[in-house]
Amino acid sequence: MATGTIAIAAALVLALTACATAIAQGITASHAMDAIARQPEAAGGIRGALVISLALMEALTIYGMLVAFMLVGKI
Amino acid sequence: MEHTNVLFSIGPLQVTSTVVSMWAIILVLALLSYLATRNLKEVPGPLQNLAEMAIEKLQSFFADTLGQKHMRKYFPIFATFFIFIVISNYSGLLPGVGHVKGMALPTASLSVTAGLGICAFFTTHVIGIRERGLKHYASSFAKPLYLCFLMLPLNIIEQFVRPMSLALRLYGNMYGEETVTEQLYEIFPIGAPLIMQVLSLLFCLLQAIVFTMLLSIYVSEAVEEEE
Repeated sequence: MATGTIAIAAALVLALTACATAIAQGITASHAMDAIARQPEAAGGIRGALVISLALMEALTIYGMLVAFMLVGKI
Repeated sequence: MEHTNVLFSIGPLQVTSTVVSMWAIILVLALLSYLATRNLKEVPGPLQNLAEMAIEKLQSFFADTLGQKHMRKYFPIFATFFIFIVISNYSGLLPGVGHVKGMALPTASLSVTAGLGICAFFTTHVIGIRERGLKHYASSFAKPLYLCFLMLPLNIIEQFVRPMSLALRLYGNMYGEETVTEQLYEIFPIGAPLIMQVLSLLFCLLQAIVFTMLLSIYVSEAVEEEE
């Protein structure tokens, strides 16, 4: 395949996964902030759940990044 | 780093910089814990004080997800995972790591994180079987019973995906951080890599927390008694 196509594919993989993850993480974080503001005494538990869910979402971007690295390696 | 950086070989085994730096980390940790616990006193010295504080923080961290009873019983393995991962991650910030022979960031190698993932897999299931018995534990994968033809394969696949995602997450984060720092260095060598390194001060700790927290959630799921 043409190298240019592979390069564009690698860039798109990372850009699209990062876009989607950023939106999802933004929604999660804003809801967590709401919850903490409404109930400050539950902040500890909410923070734990927030970190875990952000990490699970971030894993998707990481997979995208690995695929992008593999694609770049093929050029 | 994926390109081969073999230093020497013992028989058929090839020893890479990653392995050597893991040995160094293990030695440093062993030495530190020996020095900290050599003569324990009622009024602790600085090193003993530091160790006590770290252990207390870790205990309260794991007690949140595991519960006090299981935390006390299985604390050593969780603390080992956490301390090893966090020290390995921070070792990437030392000058010369990745360029000098014999120094490499261990957790930026898929082999290391896959090893950690396999350890986590066996930790979960061994603790689950020890706490609930083999028959009871195995039957927990086929619940609810009227859906077992659907749930059993799904649950089994999930058990194998978990260590894989743990390994890939740690490896991807650390390797990605290293690559971004390298790219920034190539763009502008003075100052630019600092941006990423300051961020990685935060991410290194976060990745260790995420790894051990997910592991403790998996274990607490494995030991949990359902009615």
